[in-house]
Amino acid sequence: MSQPFLLIQELRKLFGDVAAVDGASLQVRRGEFLSFLGPSGSGKSTTLYAVAGLDMPTSGDVLLEGHTLLQTPPHKRNIGMVFQRYTLFPHLKVAENIAFPLRVRGWAQKDVTRRVEEMLALVRLDGFGGRMPSQLSGGQQQRVALARALAYDPPLLLMDEPLSALDKKLRDEIQVEIRRIHQTTGVTILYVTHDQEEALRLSDRIAVFNRGRIEQVGTGQELYANPATRFVAGFVGDSNFLDVASVEAGNGGRADVTMPDGTRFADIPLHVSGSRAISSRPQLMVRPQAIRIQPGDGAGLPVRIKDITFLGDTVSALLSTRWDQDIWMRLPAHDIGTHSPMQEVRVVWNVEDSHLFQT
Amino acid sequence: MLLTYDRLGTLKYLLWAIVIGVCIFLLVPIAFIIALSFGSSKWLAFPPPAWTLRWYEALAADPRWLAAALTSLKIGVLVTISSVLLGLLASLAIIRGRFPGRDFLQGLFLMPMVLPVVVFAVATYLLFLRVGLGGTLVGFVVAHTVLAFPFAFITISNSLRGFDKSIEDAAVLCGAPPLIAFLRITLPSIRLGLFSAALFSFLISWDEVVVAIFMASPELQTLPVLIWAALRQELSPTIAAASSLLVLVTLVLMILIAALRRRFVE
Repeated sequence: MSQPFLLIQELRKLFGDVAAVDGASLQVRRGEFLSFLGPSGSGKSTTLYAVAGLDMPTSGDVLLEGHTLLQTPPHKRNIGMVFQRYTLFPHLKVAENIAFPLRVRGWAQKDVTRRVEEMLALVRLDGFGGRMPSQLSGGQQQRVALARALAYDPPLLLMDEPLSALDKKLRDEIQVEIRRIHQTTGVTILYVTHDQEEALRLSDRIAVFNRGRIEQVGTGQELYANPATRFVAGFVGDSNFLDVASVEAGNGGRADVTMPDGTRFADIPLHVSGSRAISSRPQLMVRPQAIRIQPGDGAGLPVRIKDITFLGDTVSALLSTRWDQDIWMRLPAHDIGTHSPMQEVRVVWNVEDSHLFQT
Repeated sequence: MLLTYDRLGTLKYLLWAIVIGVCIFLLVPIAFIIALSFGSSKWLAFPPPAWTLRWYEALAADPRWLAAALTSLKIGVLVTISSVLLGLLASLAIIRGRFPGRDFLQGLFLMPMVLPVVVFAVATYLLFLRVGLGGTLVGFVVAHTVLAFPFAFITISNSLRGFDKSIEDAAVLCGAPPLIAFLRITLPSIRLGLFSAALFSFLISWDEVVVAIFMASPELQTLPVLIWAALRQELSPTIAAASSLLVLVTLVLMILIAALRRRFVE
């Protein structure tokens, strides 16, 4: 296998006694759009800052094309970065903001002028060069920041929740722009976000962070269909976690499961995170979309319908099990048929759509 | 329910009366001095029997006044430079630094503001006599810098607190070495704070009289010290003229600060 473009090796960062990043390892391919997804405090920004050089890791290494970055001061790393907060230089016009990295690199004036025009066109802000940053909207400021970060053609672009200060509509708009810019420039992007929808929409692959560790790296589909840990299952997409009475481990990483009301499910894919022992509180995960109502009196989990909410194309139903646990079910509107609240029904799902997690 | 201006009713007139009263109390002595400096009466009679510029001519003719004004100016400029430089460095340490004793140090920086000036003046006088700084330009500048420093520190640290460090980080990632990023991005961004600090520092030194009286020697007198000394010898309209000039310089600088602020906000 050829060497990865960017390699993060066993990265650790301690703040006092607290590990903000606790042994994160990751490989990034050239030209890839990779998102760091996780809740706040999960170590995703700290990892990004270590790559940028604004934060020195306690241990571990960051290698770009096989060479460690840690000995290089941040201004010599030739990495582009867009920050969460607005970081345009307030006393310089838009064009001078974009020109700044070119001027410190000693570009000739005519090259600078041409490049600034190109970058303004790239982020669709032609004609805005003469404005001051304070005359721009938040979305425009972040687009200028993007133009400034890409002006010197860095091989790697870091983005630290660049859209979190913008409202929903504007965010959707700029996500499309970012996607287009990634395709036109071919730059490798590391993108930090706590918004799973944003990560799914933008990225080729997603690294899910939790408590300073990377729980899983994969495409959106992989994370959704085959979550490696209970955390990933809960963080990416909607999910139900059902209590389980007992588990009998079977063959090939599968298990037979008995629910608290005696209902049995066979051959459920088993995921063990943390300790290997089948021990503390196993849980069965099923996506709301995977659950169907069983017609007639066949097998399945007996539940009572508590509430039905119409959401246009789909219907969301709140179900209650015999042991009083709530489950969400999401199904096409016409599939709900004549079912109504307070009714007792049986629900089923494909074995492959459910996962057993040991926590 | 909030007590707003519109709800005050007839109390409004009382409020206006108080405001006008305070303004008169503050402004009349200054207006009085300025009027007297143009009056022809040698005995500072009011209202002046006639108007004249002869006291300003007398001022210009007396080399002592010019020397004192130049001394004040020289000290003021040196104090401005040292106070802004120290204020900037101290602000960087307090706002950006993370070290034990930071809060204590910040308190120490503000001490000269709360310490009675006369106590500071006496202490400095005794110390400077011992180390040979009494009556020297250096002594003057050091003493006034101590008084001006807290104001420079507050103004600059407020600017620096309002300046997002990420902007400087962005400049560094753009390829600017840290010092260049600081000089070309951070300093221009907090320039209003620096200008304000400079003007305040100058003004504090320019009209400071308590410490100056202790520091002054016959060869080295600031304008306020000379006014004070002249006042004790004789009550002459020349003093009113000198005071008016002192007020004029202060006024011009205050207007400059206000204008800068307005331009910066826009």
